[in-house]
Amino acid sequence: MSTTEKAMEAFVHETGGWVAAQLEACTRCGMCAEACHFYQATGNPEYAPVWKMELLRRAYEQRFTFVGGIKLSLGLDKPITDEDLAHWSDLNYEACTVCNKCSMVCPMGIDIGTLLHGMRAGLAAAGDVPADLAAAVTKQVNEGSPLGMTSSVWDQRLEWVADEWEVEIPRDVKDATTLVVFSSIEVMKFPANVAAIAKILNKAGEKWTVSSKAREIVNFGFYEGSEEHTKLFLNRVLDGAKDLNVKRIVVTECGHAYDALRWHAANWIPEASNFEVIHITGVLGELIGSGRIKIKPGFFNDGGKITFHDACKIQRKGGHIQEPRDILKVLAPDAFIEMTPNREESVCCGGGGGVIAVKAADPVRYASFELKIDQVNTVSAKTVAMTCSNCRLQFTDSVDHFKLDWKVAGLSQMVADALEE
Amino acid sequence: MSSQAVLEFARGPFFYFALLFMLFGLAYRLFSVISLGWSKDRVVPMGSKSKGVVVTFLKAFLIWPFIPWVKNTFNRNPLIYIGGGLFHLSLFVVVILGTPHMLVWKSLIGLGWPTLPLPVVDWMAAVGIIAMVILLINRRIHPVLKLISGPAEFFAWLFVFLPMITGYMMTHHIGGSYEALYARHMITVDVLMIWIPLSRISHFVFYFFSRAIHGQEFGKRGVAV
Repeated sequence: MSTTEKAMEAFVHETGGWVAAQLEACTRCGMCAEACHFYQATGNPEYAPVWKMELLRRAYEQRFTFVGGIKLSLGLDKPITDEDLAHWSDLNYEACTVCNKCSMVCPMGIDIGTLLHGMRAGLAAAGDVPADLAAAVTKQVNEGSPLGMTSSVWDQRLEWVADEWEVEIPRDVKDATTLVVFSSIEVMKFPANVAAIAKILNKAGEKWTVSSKAREIVNFGFYEGSEEHTKLFLNRVLDGAKDLNVKRIVVTECGHAYDALRWHAANWIPEASNFEVIHITGVLGELIGSGRIKIKPGFFNDGGKITFHDACKIQRKGGHIQEPRDILKVLAPDAFIEMTPNREESVCCGGGGGVIAVKAADPVRYASFELKIDQVNTVSAKTVAMTCSNCRLQFTDSVDHFKLDWKVAGLSQMVADALEE
Repeated sequence: MSSQAVLEFARGPFFYFALLFMLFGLAYRLFSVISLGWSKDRVVPMGSKSKGVVVTFLKAFLIWPFIPWVKNTFNRNPLIYIGGGLFHLSLFVVVILGTPHMLVWKSLIGLGWPTLPLPVVDWMAAVGIIAMVILLINRRIHPVLKLISGPAEFFAWLFVFLPMITGYMMTHHIGGSYEALYARHMITVDVLMIWIPLSRISHFVFYFFSRAIHGQEFGKRGVAV
C-alpha cells in the first residue's frame, strides 16, 4: 500500500457518521481562524483550522459523497498526493496544539479539535510525522518514556526525590486505592511537583501508590495521532493499575495524557472503564473541599499578583475549571487576578499537542506565546499558576527566550507549600 | 415562449420537480451520513450531556446571531458575524414572515401564520442583499476565505443571491412585466432548490448534528458550551 493509500484508509477509518456529519456541517465561513493562536500570531491563512483539516474533508468527499466522486472523475478535485501529506504534516504538527478553541467560535459548533486529531491519524498512518516527534514516539515504545525515563532512571529519580524533599513515595503497593502516574516531564524536569503531590496525598492519608509498570503517563502516540501507539501506551498504564488492583488512576499535571486516558481510552479499550480516572486538579479540589487537607489562607498574598493559565486539555477539554480558582482564592485572595479571555475560552500556551517537541515549530511556538505575554502583562501578574506540565515547559522555555521576570508555578506545588502542618 | 408560459412552467412542473429533488437529495445525504455508523461513547461523563445539548441550542438560537460579542473573537472579525447574522435574519424575515412566502407555505403545508408589514420585509430584504454583496467582497479579499473558497463557494453564493435579487426586483417592478419578473424569480428559486442538496447550502440539515455534538462534548466534561 502506498503512503497516500495508508493515509486515505486512516482518514476513512476516522469517518464514522460522527465525523462525516460535522464535515458536512462546515460552511467554510473561516471564523475558526480568528480563534487559532497560531493564525492570530502569524496571520498565515494556512493556519486556519478549517484549512488544516482540508485533507480529511477531501478524503471524505472523494470516497463517500456523490458530488465528491463526480468532482474527482471530472478532474475538478485531485487525488491526495505525497506532497499534500508532507505539507499538511507541517501545518498540523507545527501549528496546531489541538487545543479546540476553534470549536468554541464555530457557528455550527463543530468539534474541530477532534477532527484535527483525525487529520493526525491519517498523517501518522502515512508516516508523515516530524522526525523529532517520531523519534520521541519510538523512544517511548522502546524505553517506556520519550524523555529517556527508563526503569532504572525512574527508580533513581524517585529515590532522589524522596530523599531530597524528605517525602515518602509508596511504590507498587497492592490494593492501594489510588494509583498516581506522573509524567516524565515532572519526574525529569519538575521533580518538586512529584514531591509536592506525594506530600499532599500523604497528608490527606490517601492510600496511594506509584507503579514501576505504569510509570509514564505521557502519551506521545496520542500527540502523533497513531491509534496503535496510543493504545500501547494506555495499556501500559492500565496494566499497571490492574496488577495493583487500584480503584482509580490519578493523572498528574499532564494535559494530553489526561485527555487520552480520561476522555478517549474507554472507547478504545473497554477495560479502561474499570477505573475512575481523575486529574490531580480534581483531587486537589476534592481534598481541600472535604477538609482532608487544609491550606493556609493568604499564603501567597504578598508576592505580587498571581494569575491562572487555563490549559486546553485540563480546563477547556477536561472540565477542571473551577477547582484551581477556588484554591487560588484561598491561597491568594488579594493577589489572584483573572486574565481575559479565560476559563474555557482561554488562549492556548502554544506548546501543547507535541508542538514543543518539534524543533521546526519553534518560531511559531514563540510567536504564539506573545499572545500569552500580552494577556499576563495586561493584568501585571508576577506569577502564572497552571496545572499542566506541558504548558509549564512552554512557559519556562518562553520566559527564558523572552527574558521575562515572571514566576511559573505548578498549582500542586503551591498547595503543598501552603499545607497546614 | 411567452412570459406567462415560462411562469406556468417555473411555478408548476419545474417547481415541484425542484422541490422533490431537494427533499430526496437531502434525505439521501442524511441517510449516507448516518449509514456510516455511530460508535457508542463509553466514556463516563463528568457533567450532563443532555444539558449541554439544550444549552448550546438555546444559546445558538437566542444569543449567537444577535449578541455576537459574547464570543471575544467578534472584535477580530465583526464583518462575518454581522454580515452573516443579518443575512440569516433577513432570510428568516423574508421567507417566513413575508406575506407572499407565507402563502406559498400555506399552499404546501396547509398552515398559515401572521406576517410582517411589507415595508419591514422589504427593508430586511434589502439588508440581506447588501449583506450578501459585502460577504462576497470579503470572501474575495480576506486571506483565509480566499484560500478556502473555490467554484463551489461561488456557485453557492450565486444561487442564493439570484432569488433574493429577482424577488426584490419583482416587489419593486424593476426590469420587465410582472409575469417576466415573477418567472425569473421562480426559475432562480427552482435552481436554488436543486443546488441545495448538491452543495454546502445543505448545512442547515447537518447543523443540528454538529450543534448537538458540541453540546454533548462540552456537556459531558461539565464545561460551559
